[in-house]
Amino acid sequence: MDIPLPADTPGHPHHPSRYNVYVQIAMVLAVITGTEILLIFLPFSRWLVIGSLVMLSTVKFMLVIFVFMHLRWDKRLFTAVFFIGLILGGGTMAALISLFNAGASIPLSAQP
Amino acid sequence: MNVAANTALDRPHDPSTATGIPNKKLLLWAFLASDCMFFGTLIASHLVYRLHPPPGNPSPTQIFNIELTSFSTFILLMSSLMMALAVNAIQRGQVRSMRSSLLVTITFGLIFLGCQVFEFNDFVFEKHVTITNSIFGSTFFTLTGTHGTHVAIGVLWLTLMYIRSFKPAGAIGGGWVGRAVIHLLVFAAAVLLTMYSALGFAHAVMAGDGNALPAYFRSHGPAIAGALLALGGLRWLGRARGSVDFDDRNANDVESMGLYWHFVDIVWIVIFTAVYLLEYVLPATPLR
Repeated sequence: MDIPLPADTPGHPHHPSRYNVYVQIAMVLAVITGTEILLIFLPFSRWLVIGSLVMLSTVKFMLVIFVFMHLRWDKRLFTAVFFIGLILGGGTMAALISLFNAGASIPLSAQP
Repeated sequence: MNVAANTALDRPHDPSTATGIPNKKLLLWAFLASDCMFFGTLIASHLVYRLHPPPGNPSPTQIFNIELTSFSTFILLMSSLMMALAVNAIQRGQVRSMRSSLLVTITFGLIFLGCQVFEFNDFVFEKHVTITNSIFGSTFFTLTGTHGTHVAIGVLWLTLMYIRSFKPAGAIGGGWVGRAVIHLLVFAAAVLLTMYSALGFAHAVMAGDGNALPAYFRSHGPAIAGALLALGGLRWLGRARGSVDFDDRNANDVESMGLYWHFVDIVWIVIFTAVYLLEYVLPATPLR
């Protein structure tokens, strides 16, 4: 994906301005957030809404880390380091939720 | 010009390290990776406990104020934009533009914190949900409180960087440090007094009582005057005073700080969906 950028200013040729890119991405993030809020009040299938929310949040997450946090343009090592933590954290979340979703894990205080 | 053409320019080589990678940025990315695991477990704890809510657990949708949370989410997203613009400005050597963007970022961060204080206050005193009287309260306050602490640390970091950008060229020792400490104290006074006044005003408006506003101005008058005085002091301390020891060579410091701030934003993106929006689609049902 090539994002068009405005030309350099004469004084600082080594740092092209990404002003327009950042503003456009922020507008996209705002629209996605509005869509998410709208979705929870629409009479769609529950799993369709949940799937859409997860997908939209993932898009927001990726836009922020790759554009605002410069991973798109930075050294690949930073992406690798961050994704190691992200995968470990996400994996822990998934494992815990799967584990405690089992009926046998219902705490005694919550049993009838 | 496109991004691909800029790639080499965006990957500055640091000759002081064996890898050519700036140590500060690598440290920040490693820290953020570890923080992912930290927040992952906190979010998972909240989601696990909502699977089997014990009797007496409050219904989250009845206590959430989704309008307020949506507003604070939008504010945090816009603060990320301003942070990105601050980094963009300092990379091009535009110190004044960077300061303006930092100030707006700080303001947005404080608005987010103000919304969180308002929400916590509402939960505890109006909805009677505390950190100890329900599992929902324990996991919710721990998760969002930890995130709020991260935001507060970010605001402090931004403020210190803003004040650092006023260091005069060639300054060494006492005079500059003393002025920086005064700047920080005035900043803290402005923030605390303004937030105290604004939250008091919000409560007076929400009370909907005809006497609430006059009573607010009577009780908060000195705080409002102090806030205005401190804001005036900030304006005076932030005036242009000749050349400063802060330029595009500090871009790496500002960018590292920006990484932390954006991370706080992406954590909230997950919390907003997993903790708030999910409750409206898939409400937790107590077993009895």
